[in-house]
Formats: sequence, structure tokens, C-alpha cells
Amino acid sequence: MRFNTLFILILIFTAGTRTSAQTWVVPDEQKAVVAPFKFTPDMQKQGEQIYLKNCQACHGLMGKDNWARLTPPPGDLSREKAQIQRDGEIFYRITTGKTPMPEFRNILSEEDRWWVVAYLRTFNPKYVQPNPVAKAAFTGRIVTLAMQYNDQMKKIVVTASEQLKDGQKGPAAGVEVVLFVKRYFGKMQVGDIRTTNAAGLALFEFPADLPGNKDGNVALTAMVNDPKGIMKTTPADAAFGIGVPTEKPGLTETRAWWSHRGQAPVWILLTYTLSVVIVWGFILYIVYSILQIRKLSKG
Amino acid sequence: MTMDDNKLTFDKITSDLTHHIRINKGFLIWMGFLTLSLLICLYAYSIQLKTGLGVAGIRDYITWGMYLANFVFFVAASLIGMLISAVLGLIGMKWLTPITRIAETIAVAFAAVAGLVIVSDMGRPERLAYVFIYGRPQSPILWDVTVITTYFVLSLLLLFLPMIADMAIIHRKVETLPSWLRPVYKVLSLNFTDQPAQNKIISRAIRILLILLIPAALSIHTVTSWLFAVTSRAGWDSTVFGPYFVSGAFVAGSAAVIIAMFFFRKNYKLQDYLTDMHFDKMGKVLATVSLVYLYFNINEFLVPGYKLKRADAIHLQELFAGKDALLFWAVQVGGLILPILFMLFRRFRKPLPILIISIAVLIAAWFKRYLIVIPTQEHPFLPIQHVPGNFIHYSPTLIETLISVAPFILVLIIITLISKFFPVIPLHETAQEKGIGHIKFD
Repeated sequence: MRFNTLFILILIFTAGTRTSAQTWVVPDEQKAVVAPFKFTPDMQKQGEQIYLKNCQACHGLMGKDNWARLTPPPGDLSREKAQIQRDGEIFYRITTGKTPMPEFRNILSEEDRWWVVAYLRTFNPKYVQPNPVAKAAFTGRIVTLAMQYNDQMKKIVVTASEQLKDGQKGPAAGVEVVLFVKRYFGKMQVGDIRTTNAAGLALFEFPADLPGNKDGNVALTAMVNDPKGIMKTTPADAAFGIGVPTEKPGLTETRAWWSHRGQAPVWILLTYTLSVVIVWGFILYIVYSILQIRKLSKG
Repeated sequence: MTMDDNKLTFDKITSDLTHHIRINKGFLIWMGFLTLSLLICLYAYSIQLKTGLGVAGIRDYITWGMYLANFVFFVAASLIGMLISAVLGLIGMKWLTPITRIAETIAVAFAAVAGLVIVSDMGRPERLAYVFIYGRPQSPILWDVTVITTYFVLSLLLLFLPMIADMAIIHRKVETLPSWLRPVYKVLSLNFTDQPAQNKIISRAIRILLILLIPAALSIHTVTSWLFAVTSRAGWDSTVFGPYFVSGAFVAGSAAVIIAMFFFRKNYKLQDYLTDMHFDKMGKVLATVSLVYLYFNINEFLVPGYKLKRADAIHLQELFAGKDALLFWAVQVGGLILPILFMLFRRFRKPLPILIISIAVLIAAWFKRYLIVIPTQEHPFLPIQHVPGNFIHYSPTLIETLISVAPFILVLIIITLISKFFPVIPLHETAQEKGIGHIKFD
């Protein structure tokens, strides 16, 4: 008995330390980050749309405390526990996520994430937005990306071009490019970040085992990696037939146990129908012969 | 009074087996009592219809409460018609003749009401037809309503066919019959005049029915068990659930037949026809099926108990030593092990002792269904969080209990009516077996 008590105490203790180790700490410098622009009602409206699409499934409707019953509880973001955080903290948590919360780094643009913060703040009457800090000065580079697939090299070629001072277009060298492939939820980064060479080219290898649609097509996006926001950039979107052709019909599109009535497996339909027809055939035959008894009477 | 075959005449058998077909005071009082009780229960049901299923103790976690336990019990009890008439009958056990109709009456009554029991668990009973209209052939629920309907019709035909000759006899020979009932028997007798061609049709139809009855009966309870066993929940996730349910059904049904035999014998003075021998034999049947059921119980608890997967461990802990332990051991020991031990001795297979044993077995059989249906749902795989206390532990309400009593009253009404207006013991068949032979119809 005493051993059990000790054991339980140890369990509780270790469980306690584990929970504290799992708390979600935001680095101080991230806490201090503020939005690069002043929140406007328009942004709050946009933020609401993004919230309803991406956040509401777990966090519920704002102010209704109807969040999903998960562990740890997602909580209602209009409440003090969430609103006490600084803008940078909220922004950081949206960006990085922490299981079971997904990271939105590659799902929502930086602007989108700030709009969500703008929306969340509309539920806090005491909130006063800190002065926006504009991003580092614009250096004047205007970079446009294009993307092709080179069949011989088996590589994705991203071409970065920029407007030169004389108004002509030329290759943009030394630009960091990051490549994403679209998946069911958000985007996944392919390979590492590459820097364009003197010809403005960055080459990416595409893994041979990634699934595409039924024709093998995958949707790719190439973006300039510009965390400081010193350039004006245009990303490139393209679809190439370089994935593994995958045809996965929806769960109710084929005949299966779990599917709807119209998609019942043939053998079940046959077995069920035949059994009913045979047994009820005999029943009808018996009812018919009972009626014959009456006719056979000679009395 | 001892049976003396030499002195038996056709008229004596007819009078012995039909003298109860009259409307007497006792019958009226009994029916009045049943009707009144049914009305009280129907009032409880009207509250549920108006207010919703919230008046019952079922909540988000325990959604299948007493109503479902009741349903399984009713399907189980109806299975006895198949064991007595079809299995033992086809083997050729002659001593069964006086018991077959009792077994069929019980089968018809319980099968007819089983369908209604499930309606008590429906929030929108007017949508019952949707089961057929929108039912999926992949779903055991559709199979269940199909086989129960089929089994009910088969049992009704099997009750009716051997009765045709009896009714021909009754409407001609029984003088004490209330005058308004005579034409009813005449219509139901289908002008039966004991022609060889008529007998041939009847015996062939009965034979077909007996053969069809075996797969149909096995199906109804196997499919009912699949309603549970096709899920992966601890306590239900079992490959022996089909035979476990079927053997359990034979136990409940045999007990019900013995109880009915006892009351018919006493009230309708059938001591010459339902003899101590019949009770002794039925006691042996009950002991045998109980042993088979015990065997499946051992399988059902020992195997998961040996492996002790996490969810099974929680479930078994509650049954063996936890909240449900008292009920569990009362049912297993009082309703299975002790009855088996007692029934091994001849003296406990006499009418009164076997009646008492059967009552204990039948009550235990109901609680056994309760233990199969409810405790599993108290331990879902996903944790129960942020819910009021009454969502976690199930306790039936008074209204729910009254609604669950209603089907029993209905069964008693059906059995009373059938046994009151028709011979409890097959008349024509008994006469033939006693060597009285061909009946002369005027």
C-alpha cells in the first residue's frame, strides 16, 4: 500500500514536470514584434474570414466558449487568457503552431496572419495597437520568378529576373528562392532554400516518390525568401507532371461496406436480396397452399 | 388423476383441452389488470413522445440503455420456438407434442413485441419506415429488421398450421363455446375435414416452415449480436458473440416455456397432459443449454481477461470487482452456475422447483442483457470530458422503467389471448398420438 502511494506520487510528480516542460514558450524577441501596419476595419473583416476558415474548427466562435474538446483545450481566444498576450506572441503562435495546433507559416501569408490578429483584437475593448514598425527600407529590387521543368536534367528551374536601373530586365543573382508543393492542407517545402546564380537560376530536385493527382500533376509555388521585406517580389506558380500518378477515389465513390446504399458491394446486395426472395417465396407458397386447404374440403 | 390410455376417448381429450375456452371472471380480472397496467405505461410513453428521449436516463455516452437491453432480451426469448419445434421436433422427440404450441406462442408474442421495443428507443418513431426506405443493405440494422419480421411471420404460420384441425374440431364439437366465437373458428378452420389431401398440404407446409425456421432464428439473434460485435468496443468486440447470444437465448426461452407450462398446467388443469415427465425433460433441456451458455461465458471472459488489453482490462475490472460486480456475480452465479448444479438432480426438475429455478434464470437473463449493453458504453475509447455527472454513469429513470415494462405486459396479453381462445396443447395431434386416429367429421 505504501509502495503504491509512493508510486502514484512519483507518477504525479513526473506528469507535473512533463506538463511544465510542455508549456509553449515564445522567445522574448518574438514577443516584441509588432504589426508592420495599422489595423483597419477592412483588415479585421478579412481576418474574420480567415479565422472562420482556418481557426474556428478548433477555437470555436469568438466569445461563445464552444471550442473543440481537445487536450490541451484550445480555449476561446476572446477571453483574457488569450488577449493578455502581446501581438507578437499571438503572431508567433499562429506562425509556428504546436501539436495539435498546426503551423500556419506556409498556409497563411504574413499579411493574412496579421489580419487574424487584427480580428482577434476586436474582441478586446481595452486593446490599443502599438505603433506599427514598418519593415526595413525597400532596397529597390523588384524580382519576378518564373518556373520550368527541365526534362533532361530532371530538375525544376526557377528563373529570377529583376528590373535593372536602365529599365531593362535582367537576371537577378543572389536571391534566395524557396519552393513549395501544394498538399491537402497548406503547402510543403521542397528541398532547401537555394540562392540564384549569376544567370538568375536556382535548381531544385523534386523527390521521385511524392504523389500527384491521377495524371501525376503536382502544383508548385516558388517564392523569394525575403523575411525582412526589402524587395518587391512576384512568386511563380506552375503544375508539372512529375509526381507519382495517384488515383484515390473518395471514400464513398467505390462500392464498400461503409459506403451509402447505392455503393453497396455487389455480393452483399446479391446475398441479401436472394435470401429475402427465397425465404419469402416459400412463405408465399405456404400461404397459397393454406388457401388450397379450403378448396379441398368435401364436407 | 392418472392417465389411463384405455379409457381415453376423443371426447374426453377434446373437453380436457378446450374447457378453458370461455370468458370467465378470472380472465376478465386478469385482462383488466393487464390493460390498466399497460395504460399507465403508455402514459409514461406519451410523456417521452412529447418531451423527448431526455426523460430517459440515456445521455451522450450511454445512448443504448434499458430499452436496448430489453430489445435483446425479447429477441432472445422468441428464439425458443425454433429450439423446441424445429431442432428437437425434427429430430423426432415425441414427448414434445404438448409443449410445441406453448413454445410457438411465446415465440410469436416475443417476436411481435421485439419490434415495438426498439421503437421505444426512437426519438422520432414516426420515421420507423425510413429504416426500410433508406436502409443500407450493408448495415446489420437492416438485416435485423428483415430477419425479425421474417421470423415473426414464420412463427405465426407455424402456430397457425397445426391449429387448423383443432379449430375444425372446436367449432363442431365444443358445446360450451360462446356463440359469437363459433363463426370465427369456422373461418379459421378453413373447412378442414381431415381429407388426406388437406393433411398432406399441412404436413408439407409445416416441414418447410420447420426447416426455414432454423436459419431464420439463428439469423435473428446472430444479427442482433452483430449490432454490438461489429464495433471495436471492449466487451462487444468479440468473435463468439453470435453463438454466445444464441445459446443465451435458448436459456431464457427454455425458462420462459417452463414458467408458462407451470401456469397453464395449473390454471387450465392440464396435469394429465403436461406431466412431471415433461418438466423433467424441459429441466434437462434447460440444464443442457445452460451448460452450453456457461461454456461461451467462459470463452467470453477468460480470453480477453488473459490478454488484458487496456480497454478490456477497464471493462472487466468494472464487471468483476467494480461498480457492476454485485449484479454481474449475482447473474452469473444465481442465474447460471447454481441453476445448473440444482438441475443435475432429479428432485429439482419437479414442477415447483424447476419453476422457481426458471424464474431465477429468466430474471438473470434480463439483467445479463443489461450487463452486456450498458457497462461497455461507460468506457468509451475517447475520454469523457467537460460533461455533467449524469452523462458519465447511467441510471434508468422511472418513466424509462415504465416504458420498459410495457412490452412485458403486451407479451402477457398476447400469450393470454392465444392460450385462452385456442387449445394450449395441440388437440388433433394429441388425439392421433394417443391412437384415437382418424376423426370423424359430421
